[in-house]
Amino acid sequence: MAAEAEAEEEVRLEVEAVVAVYGEDCRVYCDFPPHLVVHVRPNTADDSSQQFVELFLGIKASSQYPKEPPHVYAVESKGLDENRQAYLISSIQDKAKELSYYPMLVTLCEEAGEILSNMNHPAGDCPLCLYPLVSENNHDSALPFMKLMSCYHCFHSDCIMRWWGWLQHDDANSKKIDTTISTGEELRLSNSDKLYNANHHKGFCPVCRKVFDEKDIEHVRDLLDANTSQLMACLTVDLGEDDKELLHSEAEKKRREKIGSLFNLQQERNGLIEPKKDLAIQPGMYVSLPAIEPTTSAGDSTNSWEATASSTSVTDPPVTANISGGGKKQNNSGPPRRNRAYAPRKQPHGQRAGKQWQRSQPARQQWQKKDAET
Amino acid sequence: MTSSSTPSRKALSKIACNRLQKELAEWQVGPPAGFKYKVSDNLQRWVIEVGGAEGTLYAGETYQLQVDFPEHYPMEAPQVIFLNPAPMHPHIYSNGHICLDILYDSWSPAMTVSSVCISILSMLSSSPAKQRPADNDRYVRNCRNGRSPKETRWWFHDDKV
Repeated sequence: MAAEAEAEEEVRLEVEAVVAVYGEDCRVYCDFPPHLVVHVRPNTADDSSQQFVELFLGIKASSQYPKEPPHVYAVESKGLDENRQAYLISSIQDKAKELSYYPMLVTLCEEAGEILSNMNHPAGDCPLCLYPLVSENNHDSALPFMKLMSCYHCFHSDCIMRWWGWLQHDDANSKKIDTTISTGEELRLSNSDKLYNANHHKGFCPVCRKVFDEKDIEHVRDLLDANTSQLMACLTVDLGEDDKELLHSEAEKKRREKIGSLFNLQQERNGLIEPKKDLAIQPGMYVSLPAIEPTTSAGDSTNSWEATASSTSVTDPPVTANISGGGKKQNNSGPPRRNRAYAPRKQPHGQRAGKQWQRSQPARQQWQKKDAET
Repeated sequence: MTSSSTPSRKALSKIACNRLQKELAEWQVGPPAGFKYKVSDNLQRWVIEVGGAEGTLYAGETYQLQVDFPEHYPMEAPQVIFLNPAPMHPHIYSNGHICLDILYDSWSPAMTVSSVCISILSMLSSSPAKQRPADNDRYVRNCRNGRSPKETRWWFHDDKV
C-alpha cells in the first residue's frame, strides 16, 4: 500500500515536471492517472515564422503507469498530412514502449519535438501555382516558401507576394471602377465589394479567406528583399506605366543603400585601392585635388556635398565622421536622379575629398573657388 | 452568340500558362466526376462537357461549359459560361451567364477549373425547379453586345441553390 502511494506520488511529481518544462503549452486534465495535452513545436529558437508544423500531443496513462506505457494520440495538428502524423504518433508510441517502467512524460514530449523538427516543412503543393512546396528528392530546385502567420497555410514566397501585389493593385483599380460605373439599373454593388474596399492594405488567405495584413507577410518581405524588387519590376510592367517610376525608385533606393553601406564598410577597413588623383601644386605644399567630372550630375553632387562640408568643417577630426555621414544621407534620400548608375560611384569622390580637405586646410579657399567655376 | 464575349483578350502570362498546363495535366490524371474536357490546342479556352447528376432534375442531360482564362489567371477569375443551350436553372441566364459568387467577387486563386466545375454541378444538382431567373429577359437584353458576365455587378442573394 505504501509502495503504491509512493509510486503515485512519483507520477504526480513527473506531471509537475512536464508543467515546469512546457508551462502554458501544457494542459493537465488529470494528475493521476496522468492525462495531459502538450503543445509541441519544432525547435526553431522560438522563431514562429519558421514553424510549419505543430502538434497538440495527448498523453493518457492508466493507473499502471509507468509499467504500462501511456496512450499517445494527436489532439490537433497543423501542417501535417495523414502519413506524417501517423508516423509521428507511432514513433512516439514506440518510444513509450521502449521506456516502460521509467518516468517518460517529458521524454515523450521531447521526442515529439525532435521528430517535428525533422519534418518541419509544409506538405503538398503550393495552392497558387500547384507545384510542390518542397520537392522530396531535389532540394536545390526548391523555391522558398512561407506560411501566413495566422492560419499556417503555406505558399511559395513569390506566389503569395504576387497575390498580395495583385490585391493592392486590384484594390486601387476597383475604386476607379466604382466611380466610373454607369448607373445601369441592374448594376448593384454587392456587399462583399464594399467590404473589400474597406480592406485596403489587407489580403485574404487564398485557401481559407482569413484576412491578413502586411504584418503577416513581413517575415517574407525581409527574406525577399532582392526578389521583391524584381517582382515589383515584373508587376509594374504588367500593371502599366503609372506605378513604374515609384516602384523602380524604391527598389533603386534600397539597392543604393546596400551598395553605399558596403562601400563605407570597405573603406573603413581600408579595403579599397583608390585611383590616384591629379595633383595641383600650391605655393609651399602639395594638395591632392579630386578630379572634377565634367558630367553635370557628378558635378552637382560634389557641389552640394561640399556646401555641407564647408559649413560643418571646424578642423576637428570627429567632423570627418559627420561629413561622411551627411554625404551618404544626401546621396540616399535625394530625389531619384536619372543617372542612377552614377550614384554609388559618386560617393568615393565626396568622401575622399572630405578627408583630404580636412588634412589640408589652406586648400579650402582655392578648392571652393574652383568648384564655383565649374 | 456568347462565345465572342471577350473583347481585346490578352494572351496568357507565363505564370498563367504554367499554372494552366499543370491544371490540365492534373485534370487528365483525375478529372472531376461527370465532366469531360473537350480536347483542343487552345490553352486559354477550355470547353467542358457536364453531365447532369443522377437523381437530379438534369439527369441524363449534357451541357457545355466554356471557360476563358484572363491574362493574369489565377489572380483573376476565369470567365465561365454555359454554351447554348444553357440549362434551365434559377441562377443561369438564357445567354449562359451563371450567377455564382465564386466566379466573381468570391474568386480565390487557390480555386481551380476542377473546383469551379464541382461547384457548378453542385449548384445544378440542388435546383428545386427548372426555371430561368426572374430578371432573365431584362438581364439578357442588357448583355446584347456580347458583354462578359464578369462586367456585371452580381447580387448574390440566394445561398440555398
